[in-house]
Amino acid sequence: MPRLLPHVSSPGGVLAVAGAALLAYAALYASPYELRVLTVAGVYALAAIGFQIVFGLAGALSLAQGAFFGIGAYVTGILGSRYGLPFPVTFPLSLLLPFVLAVLVGLPVLRLESHYFALATLGIAQVVLLLAVNLPDLTGGANGLAGVPGIAAFGVEVPRGRPLAAAVWAAVAAGGLLAWWMARGRWGRALTLVRDDPLAAATLGLDVGRLRLAAFTVSALYGGAAGALAVHTQRVVSPEVLEFPVMVSVLTIAIVGGRGRVAGAILGAVLLLHLPEWFRFLEQSYLVVYGAALLLAIVVAPYGLTGVLERLLPPPAAVPVPPRAWAERERPAGTVLCVEGLSKAFGGVRAVDGVTLSLEAGRVTGLIGPNGSGKTTLINLVSGLERPDGGRVVLNGREVTGWRADRLARAGIARTFQTASLPAGTVLDAVTAARLDRDGSIAAAQAHAGHALERVGALHLGPRDGAALPAALRRRVELARALAREPAVLLLDEPAAGLTDDEKADLAARIAAVAAGGVAVLVVEHDMDFLLPLVDRVVCLDGGRVLAQGAPAAVAADPAVIAAYLGDAPS
Amino acid sequence: MRRSLAFLLLTGIISAGPARAETLNMPVLVPLTGFLSLEGTSQRNGAVLALRGAQPPGVTVATDVVDTGTSPEAAVTALERALGRGTTVAVAASMLGTQMLAMLPLAADYKVPLVTVSGTASITEQGNPWVFRFFPGDAVTKEAHARYVVEELGKRRPAVIYQTTAYGQSGRAHLAERFRALGAEVVYEEGVDPAARDLLPVLSKALAARPDVLVLHLHSGPTALFLRQAAAHGVEVPIVAGSAMHQPSTAALLDPAEMKGVCAETAASPVSGGSPEMDRFTADYRAAFGTEPDAFALGQYDGTRMVLDAIARGARTAEAVRAALADGTHEGLAMTYRSDGTGNMAHSAVIVCYDGTSRVPQVVRRYDALSGSTR
Repeated sequence: MPRLLPHVSSPGGVLAVAGAALLAYAALYASPYELRVLTVAGVYALAAIGFQIVFGLAGALSLAQGAFFGIGAYVTGILGSRYGLPFPVTFPLSLLLPFVLAVLVGLPVLRLESHYFALATLGIAQVVLLLAVNLPDLTGGANGLAGVPGIAAFGVEVPRGRPLAAAVWAAVAAGGLLAWWMARGRWGRALTLVRDDPLAAATLGLDVGRLRLAAFTVSALYGGAAGALAVHTQRVVSPEVLEFPVMVSVLTIAIVGGRGRVAGAILGAVLLLHLPEWFRFLEQSYLVVYGAALLLAIVVAPYGLTGVLERLLPPPAAVPVPPRAWAERERPAGTVLCVEGLSKAFGGVRAVDGVTLSLEAGRVTGLIGPNGSGKTTLINLVSGLERPDGGRVVLNGREVTGWRADRLARAGIARTFQTASLPAGTVLDAVTAARLDRDGSIAAAQAHAGHALERVGALHLGPRDGAALPAALRRRVELARALAREPAVLLLDEPAAGLTDDEKADLAARIAAVAAGGVAVLVVEHDMDFLLPLVDRVVCLDGGRVLAQGAPAAVAADPAVIAAYLGDAPS
Repeated sequence: MRRSLAFLLLTGIISAGPARAETLNMPVLVPLTGFLSLEGTSQRNGAVLALRGAQPPGVTVATDVVDTGTSPEAAVTALERALGRGTTVAVAASMLGTQMLAMLPLAADYKVPLVTVSGTASITEQGNPWVFRFFPGDAVTKEAHARYVVEELGKRRPAVIYQTTAYGQSGRAHLAERFRALGAEVVYEEGVDPAARDLLPVLSKALAARPDVLVLHLHSGPTALFLRQAAAHGVEVPIVAGSAMHQPSTAALLDPAEMKGVCAETAASPVSGGSPEMDRFTADYRAAFGTEPDAFALGQYDGTRMVLDAIARGARTAEAVRAALADGTHEGLAMTYRSDGTGNMAHSAVIVCYDGTSRVPQVVRRYDALSGSTR
């Protein structure tokens, strides 16, 4: 029977004890002032939990969380004070409006690179702030609106002090549990991979854009909820709720508490909201001490307070899930992938120029050529990381030209990268990520990931940190991750680079076994000793064009290939 | 035995000593950091100077100074914290309108009077009996401002440049209403962000509207920037600024020549003198804090002294202090204070002008018993 409560010596146990102590303090000892600080800490914890989803999990530095907070605050403020609407009406609307705004602005801005995305989201916050200040008939202008009622629903009013603190922290508990449940599930893991390696995530079938948009909108819901509760706590709403210090507070809470962790958001909020109060006796000097304390916290605990806890009290190793093979699907025979006249130029350089080739089920095709001949670009075009300028790609009889990487991955194309890199975390987690869109649960995905690792002889690596593995093992794990996709087409970009002869032989055998299972395999490789015995057919590129293709021996003997790439064998 | 009794009696007399003074609290919760730190520090200094002066007999009025920053949330937290300690009879409360609006419900819950110099009109429009403003509200100062422009300078085409803050928007609304009542046509209006680093575009657009007077309602820094740029471009249209201009800290940012002919409205100008009591206040202020006092310091000083007078006359509870403030009259250094029934205690304003040779302005016009009403 699984243990329901964490052991007290685990991070979860420590946090549970700390939570109970905080609860006892609030229930039994806290003065009205201390309860107010706790209440405000709860409000910021809720906003920071949402921010952890978009920033901590999805890795998008959204500076709009303060704007969502402020919009939620203004919806509650305007509807509550101007129109006298009750909490059951204002609260959902305070979540809805930030959500709608997040959907509308998320679609264009989430395509931007990280720093441009941050600037764009900051711009959203500034626009909303300007509107709040310059629409006085609606928002009360720079003065804001006073007379916002407290929380009251169905005839029950929540007075300030202990009841209000309880209400706010109940919202934090509910929001925290929901975020924790989402973070540890398939969605949370997918977001983590999007954060750590968006290209790999896309090639593993994850819709990066949709995932980021979902994270952005969920964070907006939390921001709106926090803003609404803030206004019920203060009873006024003014442009300060939209100003940058709110965003800075949320960001600092997330960093100090521990990026991506719900517990980090709560710990960070409680600490950061209390720190200024502890130093208040220093009058004007308190900001200096407060700043120094924050700096110290970041230097001493770069991974946040939860990071320190996890370092001091490492969580127990997860119980290994037994590998389980997936149900093999019947694979089509014959030509699986057909590339016709594919072209791609970068400025004036024609990286791929009218390439035509086909991959057969159960066959291994080698792709060779000098550096810069277009091999990796061709793989990127076929796997959707680049969009072709011309030509067609047909997969299992269906044209898939210009499809996004995640869509192609779901259609059956898997690939590895020239530089094998795995995200931080266990090897099992890295391979499990490849099954997130296929399996109904994390347990099933882990069992199938174990099977993929087993197929490449790397099951024993499961608990190890993938990012810390030597290159050869990383390549093997990457192959397992690609196999876990159950691909119809497998594209391997220099899989033997850096391997010893024994490792190459082992890899060749495993690739051959994969092909024997009905997969069409394309191998880009410079090591002819490794490649030529393995492949059924070779395509040689030069200057983006097909220089030669055919049986390995014929291509290797082709004078044009020798002149352009292989060179004369030493006498 | 007799010796022992005598010893015990003596010990008892010594330990009893003089009667212990009752301690009451009047915390000072003002913005010492952020964009209002200069004004907030003046406010703090005024309150502290008053509390350091003669204490009511038999009572010690203690104070804690707490920085409220500029967020309503910090102000409310500071108020809740202050009210949890001892017997608080009044609070010297932030001059920032949004902070006051946030503190008002809590003050009403705790039944503690807030004594402030905030000019934001709406703080005394909430029907809250616990707020007392010892600084003329915008309705009063803008009446003086507009009347001086129209009645004394004879100008009819003002251009109004204001700040996009609570202070600025409130002042703009009152100026517009007052100019309309006086029959003047506002030919240009523009709100300026406090962070703006170049006001020349605004100045150029205002001049293009061909005004006969430039009316400013800006914070300290933007006021100084505007005047410097106007002087640099040889603007000859007269300028009548808002109360920020009277602050010595604003004048310190400018050369006297850049202020030549510039006038400003304010509640008072302590550095301009006017009475021996005012001169003594200014001297004490300089000695205590090493800076020049302004109208905010003087207003908070007067308000705090009125609270201390109420205590001296027997008020020992917050309710008693509130009643004294609501019903009493106080002869302060700046003016005579009396509530209009909503907590507005100050009903006078002055116009000061700079002669171009000194940073100390002269009071050129005084307006008393202003109602702030256009009706």
